[in-house]
Amino acid sequence: MKKLILSLCAVLSLQLAFAQTADEIINKHIIAIGGAENWKKINSMVMDASIKAQGAEIKVTRTQIHNKAMRMDIAVAGMNGYQILTQTAGWGYMPFAGQTKAEPMTADDVKTSQDELSLLDEFVTYKEMGKKAEYLGKDDLDGTECLKVKLTDKDGQETTFWIDPATFYTIKQVQKVKANGKEVESVSTYSNYKKIDEGIVYPFSIGGDNGDIEITKLTINSTIDESLFKPSN
Amino acid sequence: MKKISLAILLLASLHAVAQTTVNSGMFGMLEARQLGPGTMSGRITSIVGVNSDTKVIYVGTAGGGIWKSTNAGTSFRPIFDKYCQSIGAIGISQKKPATIYVGTGESNMRNSVSIGNGMYKTTDAGDNWKFIGLDSTEHISKVIVHPNNDQIVYVAVPGPLWSDSRHRGLYKSVNGGESWEKILYKDEKTGCAELLMDPKNPDILYAAMWQFRRQPFSFNSGGEGSGMFKSTDGGASWKEITNGLPAKPFGRIAMALAPSDPKKMWAIVESKSTGLYISEDGGESWKNQSATMNVCARPFYFSTFEVDPKDAKRVYRPGYEFSYSDDGGYSFSGASGDGGWVHSDMHALWINPDNTNLLYLGTDGGVYKSIDKGITWTFTHSLPVGQFYHVAYDLQKPYRVYGGLQDNGSWMAPSAAPGGISNAHWSRVGGGDGFWTIPDADGQTVYSEYQGGNMSRVNLQNMKSEEIQPKQTSQEEKLRWNWNTPLVTGAKNSKNLYTGAQYLYRSVNQGRDWTRISGDLTTNNKDKQKQEESGGLSADNTSAENHCTIFTIAESPLDANMIWVGTDDGNIQYTTDGGKTWKNTASAYAAAGIPAGTWVSSIEPSHFDKNTVYATFENHMYGDHATYLGKSTDMGHSWTRIKHNDFTGFAHKICEDPVNKNLLFLGTEMGLFATLDGGNHWLRMKNNIPEYALVRDIKIHPETHDLIVGTHGRGIFIVDDISVMRNLTAEIWEKDVYLFPTAAMTLNNGQYGWGGPEVSGGWWAGNPPSNPSIDYYLKERLNTGSAEISIYDANHTLIQTMPGSKRKGINKVYWNLRGLPPKVAEGSTKMDGAGFTAPMVLPGTYTIELKIKDQIYTSKVQCVHDADNKDLSAADRTLVYNKAMQLQQLYNNINADVDTIQYYKTKLKADSNSKVNKAMLADIEKIRAELMATKQTSIFADEEKLREKTSKLYGSFCSMEAKPNDIQLKAIEALDEEYKQLNKKLKATLEKHLPKLNL
Repeated sequence: MKKLILSLCAVLSLQLAFAQTADEIINKHIIAIGGAENWKKINSMVMDASIKAQGAEIKVTRTQIHNKAMRMDIAVAGMNGYQILTQTAGWGYMPFAGQTKAEPMTADDVKTSQDELSLLDEFVTYKEMGKKAEYLGKDDLDGTECLKVKLTDKDGQETTFWIDPATFYTIKQVQKVKANGKEVESVSTYSNYKKIDEGIVYPFSIGGDNGDIEITKLTINSTIDESLFKPSN
Repeated sequence: MKKISLAILLLASLHAVAQTTVNSGMFGMLEARQLGPGTMSGRITSIVGVNSDTKVIYVGTAGGGIWKSTNAGTSFRPIFDKYCQSIGAIGISQKKPATIYVGTGESNMRNSVSIGNGMYKTTDAGDNWKFIGLDSTEHISKVIVHPNNDQIVYVAVPGPLWSDSRHRGLYKSVNGGESWEKILYKDEKTGCAELLMDPKNPDILYAAMWQFRRQPFSFNSGGEGSGMFKSTDGGASWKEITNGLPAKPFGRIAMALAPSDPKKMWAIVESKSTGLYISEDGGESWKNQSATMNVCARPFYFSTFEVDPKDAKRVYRPGYEFSYSDDGGYSFSGASGDGGWVHSDMHALWINPDNTNLLYLGTDGGVYKSIDKGITWTFTHSLPVGQFYHVAYDLQKPYRVYGGLQDNGSWMAPSAAPGGISNAHWSRVGGGDGFWTIPDADGQTVYSEYQGGNMSRVNLQNMKSEEIQPKQTSQEEKLRWNWNTPLVTGAKNSKNLYTGAQYLYRSVNQGRDWTRISGDLTTNNKDKQKQEESGGLSADNTSAENHCTIFTIAESPLDANMIWVGTDDGNIQYTTDGGKTWKNTASAYAAAGIPAGTWVSSIEPSHFDKNTVYATFENHMYGDHATYLGKSTDMGHSWTRIKHNDFTGFAHKICEDPVNKNLLFLGTEMGLFATLDGGNHWLRMKNNIPEYALVRDIKIHPETHDLIVGTHGRGIFIVDDISVMRNLTAEIWEKDVYLFPTAAMTLNNGQYGWGGPEVSGGWWAGNPPSNPSIDYYLKERLNTGSAEISIYDANHTLIQTMPGSKRKGINKVYWNLRGLPPKVAEGSTKMDGAGFTAPMVLPGTYTIELKIKDQIYTSKVQCVHDADNKDLSAADRTLVYNKAMQLQQLYNNINADVDTIQYYKTKLKADSNSKVNKAMLADIEKIRAELMATKQTSIFADEEKLREKTSKLYGSFCSMEAKPNDIQLKAIEALDEEYKQLNKKLKATLEKHLPKLNL
């Protein structure tokens, strides 16, 4: 009898686990991060951040107009570089790596990076962007049993999200990018979520291939000088 | 009401889960290093590529999961690490190539073959997998997806090797694996081993049925069930084909058809006169064709036959060796040796359909690639899928690991090396199938063996070896040596070397002489000793079926006279008097619910109590896959079976931690498990180790506290320093945050030195960390708030702050033993190294402050002088530190002057038309150009000014691990002097210009 009850429990809990649909998870996620309305009010963002490694610090400023253009300025050891992405072009100037003037991004890179231009959480806009959401079940991520959701865009480009069921925040994201004849996975992790004045909840720590970026200041909807989005050298 | 009570039960069970228990996630940060080797790989079972994008290739392995390449084999990555690692077959929908079906459980039915647990499917090219049934099939030989419909899939199931089963046969699904129909079935002894589909008419199918069986002591291939069949209606009906084939019974049949002309067919039919048969009419009739030994050898093991997709005359037989024919199979030639040896024993071949010169071959030793239709081959050095049976370590610094590989000899490698461990660090110490490979305590000798107890003592100085296997004397029965004969040194007295046939032998002089110290310790059942009759239709008796032998030997770490022996036929015996008398405890473990007669796979006498012993038992050769782990606390008089719901796979090895008696590790055919409470709760180790890894052996290094894991399909893994597992108690894991004590840190630039430029290709494993980590425990992942670690010196001056990780469970942060680097002035034209380094701190006690959200947790760490470094005394260290700090100050002064100049430059530029401004700008820019490099426009042009010279010398002092020489010290003075002059000049220039300006 005990066995029967146990197995019933197992069945029930299994069903509960799988009863979640992608939509339910996404809805809970959007509520957790401040609601779609608040997100949709964002037109521009200036993010000041730093990356610390072995005591050295890299300062980063990301300036962006929603769905239009993005510029990232990077200051390392007395040198300044930048990266620019617009809807049609992109440039990189990395003097740290020996570049002496801005170099254009490949057309493939510009095309596959367009998602970067959105300032909104992917789930706020995925439907209008024509992306498909799929719930892939639970997945253990560094000890946390996460909800795994995949978004696939019209071109078949896939991004997978690990959502912590305790908070419904995204804690990891893997984007698979096929560009320039190679397939590359870009991994980001998110933590230190904070609610800001505009009502949205934003991760102030973003982990990537080059260490953790800690956001020090976030300015929403300030006026942005669009001449920034042209290479200056 | 019933609903409510169920809900309450459910809540209760959820609550039980919510209480913290030890789980896999807690140790995720203890990431294992996969050592390889890649220089010697392992058995490959399946290779398939994507026809529409032939750069994409999937490789299925015997015990290492699936590896994917997206660059035609230049590099691979594993994509099946959460599932069963034994791969039988991979089937791709070429129409929708992101849809792939995988059958687990290899079908090369040798004695050591693993088992699978059914079918899996991905619809996103391997990122996510779903189990889709057929869980009792154990072995799957072919998966074919309908070319025009990715929902239709056929699966050929030979089925269980060691028992009868109704799960054998040919299965079909028409709904993408949601349900399965068995479309061809003979009986519980006969499975489906071969399947072909006519690419021009996918309703035409050919299948070969195979009757086969292994017992622990014999193998039989062949029987009345075997036969060749054809269907022309997608498997709805079948007819048996006999016309032109030899007289039945058959054994295993390998078949192929020409994709360009599918009526042309080939078959190697195992029978009393095994041979090659050719059909020109779609299998309706066959003609025998004489063929070489290689074409017909070992049909139970070599079942691959392929035809060029474009040329029906170009036929390939990868078997014992590689044969190819240019005349449709009438005559065969062999691959050339140019380009090096190609591993024998071949099981998979994929021919690029666009470029049929390009072939990928899977062997018992990895993947080879040919660009000339198989005439010459290049080895793939980056697939670490070797199949170890055992691992061992020595006490060198860094220690070396040793082990024997299935079909690939015995090897050793350092656990750390300058630059990390690459393929080049692996050395071969023995041949054949490698098993126990054991270092002697003298540091210069290793014992290695190959199948059937052939053992040698190898001199590591000159790599010469002497054969040392004990021989039968006139008073004894023929010696029975297990395929995987134990060869071990004593846990208490390392000078004792043991081996066993049916008798136990001990040597105290490195195998030069042996003393037999037991009678026959096995059941000596004569019915299980008829190996000469093994094989079935084809004789196959390679010592793999030897039985009634000793399989495991363990000397107690507390008493060298206490020796435990386990046999393959179920005896577990011990002596407490060095072998004079023996006691068999077989009946006692059987009373604990472990089947009698079970293979005793490992015995672990406790490090803490002579009466306590652990053992693993495995019964898969009788079709029983249960995980059997036993413990006795009364010297084997009574046993308790330790069970856990999470256990999967039959058990190979139990290992007790020598420090914490409650910490145990269990290795099974499907996973590595650990318990922190003596066996009540277990967790699956997932930390970079495949979750269902075939774990054959586990060792814990007594000095480095590393967990060394030998797998049968993924080489060797090392989990560096498991101390934190020893220290994690229930009291700690109930806390929200806990900062563990940090072990002393030795002040040096790392233990392992520089290994030269990056390794070009091959498998590479990094080194263990050079210094202990700062460990802390978080009960939950930190989603809000930050984690930060700060280090302070004895005066509470901040030395450095580092971001902390935020994962659930154990977190590890490494401090580089240095303070903060100096700030670099603006306006540089090239990266300046000084901005990234600082002198190493001086010996002393430092405070660690862990800040989680707003809470602070503190502990201390000792930083100690590296006494092993004879080039640097404690006094030298202080000198080096002081000089580095002096240079840092000089560097800061230079940068301050540069900043001053930059300040005035900005101001002056506001009115750059002014003459006076122009004059001052020119003067100060001249000084700036002496203070730092300003002209260089390329990273390849080295312009060195005062700052660059200072930076370089500062860098030297920061990394210095020897007493500085006179010239280095004088150089500091010279730089100081140069700075003083420039600083004077700057001041004079400012004094000259500033009064004239209105800034």
